[in-house]
Amino acid sequence: MSKLDYDRRRFLKVSSASVFGAGLVLAMTWEDLPAKANDNSKISSRFQPNAWLKIDDDGSVTVYVVESEMGQGSTSLMPMILAEELEVAWQDIKVERAPLKPVYGYQYTGGSASIRKGWATLRSAGAVAREMLISAAVQQWAVNHQDCYADNSYIIHQTSGKKLSFAELISTAASLPLPEHVRLKIPEEYKILGRAVPRLDIPQKVDGSAQFGIDVQLPDTLYATTVHCPVIGGKPKKIDDTQAKAISGVRHIFPIDNAVAVVAEDTWTSMKAAGSLDIEWDNGSNVTLNSKKIRQQLQQSANKAGKTNYQHGDISKILNSSNKVSASYDLPFQAHAPMEPMNCTAVVDDERCELWVPTQSPSAAKNTAIKYGFSKVSYYMDKVSSKLGFAERDRVDVHTTLLGGGFGRRLKQDYVAEAVQIAKEVGGPVKLVWSRQEDMRNDFYHPQTFHLMEGSIDADGKPLTWWHRLSGVGKVGAAKFPYEIPNVKIDIEKVDIPVPTGPWRSVSHHYYAFAQETFFDELAYLGKQDPLTLRLDLIKDSRLRGVLELAADKAGWSKALPEGHFLGVAAHFSFGTYVAEVVEIALDENAQIQVLRVVVAIDCGIVINPDVVRAQMEGSVVFGLSAALKGGISIEEGRIQQSNYHDFSILQMHEMPVVETYIMESNESPQGIGEPGVPPLAPALANAVFAATRVPIRSLPLSIQLKA
Amino acid sequence: MTKGRRMARIKLNVNGENHVVEVLNDTPLLWVLRDKLNLTGTKYACGIGACGACAVLADGEPIRSCVIPAIELENKAIITIEGLSADSSHALQQAWIELQVPQCGYCQSGQILTAAALLEKNPNPSDADINTAMSQVLCRCGTYQRVRAGIHLAAKRMKEEG
Repeated sequence: MSKLDYDRRRFLKVSSASVFGAGLVLAMTWEDLPAKANDNSKISSRFQPNAWLKIDDDGSVTVYVVESEMGQGSTSLMPMILAEELEVAWQDIKVERAPLKPVYGYQYTGGSASIRKGWATLRSAGAVAREMLISAAVQQWAVNHQDCYADNSYIIHQTSGKKLSFAELISTAASLPLPEHVRLKIPEEYKILGRAVPRLDIPQKVDGSAQFGIDVQLPDTLYATTVHCPVIGGKPKKIDDTQAKAISGVRHIFPIDNAVAVVAEDTWTSMKAAGSLDIEWDNGSNVTLNSKKIRQQLQQSANKAGKTNYQHGDISKILNSSNKVSASYDLPFQAHAPMEPMNCTAVVDDERCELWVPTQSPSAAKNTAIKYGFSKVSYYMDKVSSKLGFAERDRVDVHTTLLGGGFGRRLKQDYVAEAVQIAKEVGGPVKLVWSRQEDMRNDFYHPQTFHLMEGSIDADGKPLTWWHRLSGVGKVGAAKFPYEIPNVKIDIEKVDIPVPTGPWRSVSHHYYAFAQETFFDELAYLGKQDPLTLRLDLIKDSRLRGVLELAADKAGWSKALPEGHFLGVAAHFSFGTYVAEVVEIALDENAQIQVLRVVVAIDCGIVINPDVVRAQMEGSVVFGLSAALKGGISIEEGRIQQSNYHDFSILQMHEMPVVETYIMESNESPQGIGEPGVPPLAPALANAVFAATRVPIRSLPLSIQLKA
Repeated sequence: MTKGRRMARIKLNVNGENHVVEVLNDTPLLWVLRDKLNLTGTKYACGIGACGACAVLADGEPIRSCVIPAIELENKAIITIEGLSADSSHALQQAWIELQVPQCGYCQSGQILTAAALLEKNPNPSDADINTAMSQVLCRCGTYQRVRAGIHLAAKRMKEEG
């Protein structure tokens, strides 16, 4: 957004659908007021001008947050945006999870989209409330509106200095009509945004009181776990539960659609009984599936050159070039492995279903509950009636708890489907908890991909052609090509292989940026170019250049390094945000990589909370390092080989580099921070290793390649 | 043969309180804490003692409660995150808040209790000491840098306060 646009938008007609993308939501919001603000007869002890906040007579402001809290700070960042416009003192803010009401739209937390989605809405919601409180004071004092302003939970009359607290004004405010226009603040006026405001969810996370899904304890709960066929897509055929049923405290053992459920009086008993089941499986058709074969399939399809995603110029020139590189890049499947295993507590009867679940999408959880909790007839009747525009039957309640990690895994609701089926069978509340092994082996994996890269350089050593052929399992994608190279072609081939795949922190950007940014260094090396200088020469986007320059400067790119130390750089644009990373490594004589330092430069537009940006960059670096250095997921005879953190290892404390984060100042609209730090990490690391050894790194995990 | 099939009455001292629970005789302490005593701050994550999310203190030593049967801990004083302090006043908890260490928070009870045991023995740990003590406590969100800084800060504060 240009500065001019920004000023033009400072005055916002909230009811207009044309002002912001979110305008429609707003228009709906004002009509769906739980407390009718324009109802003159109503004297209320609370003021709720829209669905995003309420102010109670103790002056507390409750902000309703739609986004799931999985450590990325949504329950603090979203209220900060609203609080800024409302001019409320931060200590008066309380947070509640928004209920599943149509006004909030389809609730999901993913794609690093929370702030981008909520920015306009939450600012407007806060500004509307502020203007109404000012109008209430104006009415009480009989003064001019322009002489009053809001600050620190008070409305203040500028000339006389008299003031009234929000709490004193709510009943008057609740009787006023909604304002037609509200003014939104400009960045120079921000008091809360841009500050490292302590997150509201931290205190409960240091004393054990934080309630994750797995911590939900209802009276008379039974504890369930499920066992799935080791072969992908298999189903239970015959269950011998003699041993399991002999264990005291085991209540029920029965098959559900793709698993066997064990229900007991506590979690340990359920897991122990699950381990003593003798199950004959119908392995289905995937017993011949293995990683090597998948790689061959991907390689074949990459060679076919599938759908062209992007092209300009003519890459056939590469054929006659003598100055070219061809390389293939490989990345394995990855599991999400959030520390909290999949779980869901459910109560189901004929009429209603209630869920307590750590999910990234309560809306999807609700749809899942309707599908599995009620009869097919009533499921389709619901669908038809909603298509005809009838009000939805209110029969599923979803209580979204804190999430012990999400990373995309909890956008899927397979564990909800299981909990609902089990609760329906058992009656009464059931808490389903997967063992780590079931969690690891029944994931929706980050897809395995294969990349064929070909490029050539001109007489000056500058890249002339670039051909990237990507093939991957399931839904794979590319990103915007950032370099000014005369001849470019990017092809994508999706291969249908029956391994469940799904979004994983940074999704396609992870493998795409790895192949692109690592191959870039190979071409730079061929042309005897400095990889940073060449990037800066060929990138036209000034914001991407900006983060590269900042990261390189802070990392000391042009300065002398200690003996045995090497730097690698990569940059990537994703989720609206620009990130460059410089990785400093030391390589010992046994080819052991020590990752010493990662310098991150990020331009995510307006910064809501710089400390949360830093935390997300630190986390992204660790997530990226785990994928780059550790094992990934492999498949033999249709079975996922890894089962727990000992064989799907993640980065540990002693391997943690120093992470330095530098944030570009910007007045552009705020963008994603949860994922964009991941994609540059692996290529920057691979480029550092390439700089050290001059052996190109073409597969992940790169430690395996180094040992080979 | 009967191990794990039969119930046992187990006496435990947790956070200074005595409890008697009736569970399968091989039930790990973790599930007694969580399912019977409603002390859910101690977390299940791996079940094989590989990640440290379930760490608690037994007579001051960090143990993996997911793999140690409760029956073997009858004579130990168990401290869980709920019992580390009454009001989050432990120097580590304060440092964790000050440095905003947790992200999702799921592993943090294990991080804090393992760090508490370290500081008890070694009030002035080096980075290498922290690596040794903390490397088996996993965090998928990647809070290690802040965990390290939090331990150093807590150590400093504890020294200042004597």
